[in-house]
Amino acid sequence: MDGTPGQVEGVQRWHAAVAHTADVGVRATAPDPGGLLEEAATALAELSADVSHAKHLRAQEIEVRADDLAALTFAWLNELVGLADALGEALVEARVERLDASPDGWLARGKATFAAYDAQVQPRQQVKAATFHRLKVARQPDGWNLEAYFDV
Amino acid sequence: MSALAAEPHLALERIDAFRWRIPRSAQAGMRVDGLVFADDGLIEPLRDDPCLSQVANVATLPGIVGHSLGMPDLHWGYGFPIGGVAAFTLDEGVVSPGGIGFDINCGVRLLRSDLAIADVKPVADRLADALFRAVPSGVGAHTGRRLNRAELDDVLQQGAAWAVAAGHGTADDLAVTEEGGRLDTADPGQLSERARLRGSNQLGTLGSGNHFLEVQVVDQLLDPSAAAVLGLRPGQITVMIHCGSRGLGHQVCTDHVAVMDRAVLRHGISIPDRQLACVPLGSPEAHAYLGAMGAAANFAWANRQLIADAVRRTFASVFGLDHSLPLVYDVSHNMAKFERHRVGEREVDLCVHRKGATRAFPAGHPGIPDAYREVGQPVLIPGDMGRASIVGVGLPGAMAETFGSTCHGAGRTMSRHAALRQLRGVNLIDELRREGIIVRVSRRGLLAEEASVAYKDVESVVGVAAGAGHVRPVARLRPLVVVKG
Repeated sequence: MDGTPGQVEGVQRWHAAVAHTADVGVRATAPDPGGLLEEAATALAELSADVSHAKHLRAQEIEVRADDLAALTFAWLNELVGLADALGEALVEARVERLDASPDGWLARGKATFAAYDAQVQPRQQVKAATFHRLKVARQPDGWNLEAYFDV
Repeated sequence: MSALAAEPHLALERIDAFRWRIPRSAQAGMRVDGLVFADDGLIEPLRDDPCLSQVANVATLPGIVGHSLGMPDLHWGYGFPIGGVAAFTLDEGVVSPGGIGFDINCGVRLLRSDLAIADVKPVADRLADALFRAVPSGVGAHTGRRLNRAELDDVLQQGAAWAVAAGHGTADDLAVTEEGGRLDTADPGQLSERARLRGSNQLGTLGSGNHFLEVQVVDQLLDPSAAAVLGLRPGQITVMIHCGSRGLGHQVCTDHVAVMDRAVLRHGISIPDRQLACVPLGSPEAHAYLGAMGAAANFAWANRQLIADAVRRTFASVFGLDHSLPLVYDVSHNMAKFERHRVGEREVDLCVHRKGATRAFPAGHPGIPDAYREVGQPVLIPGDMGRASIVGVGLPGAMAETFGSTCHGAGRTMSRHAALRQLRGVNLIDELRREGIIVRVSRRGLLAEEASVAYKDVESVVGVAAGAGHVRPVARLRPLVVVKG
């Protein structure tokens, strides 16, 4: 396990892009691990397309499992990347409905929303995959923090 | 956008004008030295760049032999650096999907024509439009038809030969494609359903990012006798295609990195970066990955073959039916290959990882097509869309030092965001048109991300590869029409 699940009080969610010579990174903060996965999904969605005016949305159930929280984040983000590419649509957001940590590992279940590319949904970057490179997910005094890099 | 903190400097020792050593003592766990090919101009910006640490990290992997290598276009990747080469023994070594990259068998192919610049200039806009329509490109690009399971299995098994058998090329194309356009180690059974789904409607598409299709002119011969063997002459029109295995290959890498991430500790391997996840070459996980990688590589060769066919049909419609556009060569720059190399006094079988690095075998090597055996394997090195690309041939120095490898491009110097910021307000389409370059792109922001300012000068990069004795430059190609996703 990378840390103890649980909420850090008084933390606002945010995310930002991080410079990388060839690819793209993001940093995100949230009060709890589920919120962090959601915020990372929002960062991924913003990298991939301008979905601020998306109207015709499609929801898809998602579930991923992994041995630790970093691997769960890798699996969560890649599930979103892979689904968007398979559907040929843009990721809009993802919500975590259940997040479990047990001695057997981690599970995240939720719902992702996608929108077809059209005049209102313009692509930004083709994200090939989320990577393990410098992937950090940890509970710190200022909240749950993530740093992740995508191959674009 | 947050800037990244500078990396701590690794010990870097100058060997000569083109070589720098990262000694084993520079970082705990290094099994071999790092060896980076760069001149003073190329090495300076790398001193506080994470790519040197990545060269050192690769040197910690089990079974690595020779050096952990950085080509002259070296830059920061994920896990392995881009422009990284590493070779591993079959008994003690590993395979690492991060050492091949997500875009398995990303590569370059070059077609030559019997057209001259005067034929293209008057119809350049019409040609650009026709190529942009003929080859789907950009985020979410697809062909509009999904291959069924049996068709996709055939593609994954047969590679470029599948496309040729379907009427999208000739046997001559296969003769001048690396490995004949097919890895016989491919095992489609190792692909996930998600990988199949991502690839089934993307065969024949260019993709996005740094992938491109360019109509070029040979504007300088650097080695006329080798150029003649490659069928290149001054003022001749060529077409260069750069793309890979699309979403199918991306998913193969994702799936198998996850498998190896879980397996790496079980195999007793310690890695400094989780993206370097790897397993012993004899393990079931390695067998599964190499089968899937081979299938994805075959998909990429079929993809480039179909795009070449679409280019040929487009040229036929624009210029008439006499322009067959023979293939000069098709080379991969993201792949693991089993090859025999000399290590010390012995010839040994190795698994050579090339991530953003091009194979560059010298004259006489049996892996080179008969037509080029006397001059060496063609090496295709794209630059950027505003300057030039270089065609070269491999030299014996590459076999001696880099397991027959060299640079794969110019190499980025600037993040995509930094390029966008620097070029805000600049109309690159108009600027390039003033330079005589017609551009078609599915989104304008991509042009800034891929602008010349974001890349090293390919001629200085190739100059180092030539100075080190790895490549002989043969011809310089200047872009006339650029299609990007």
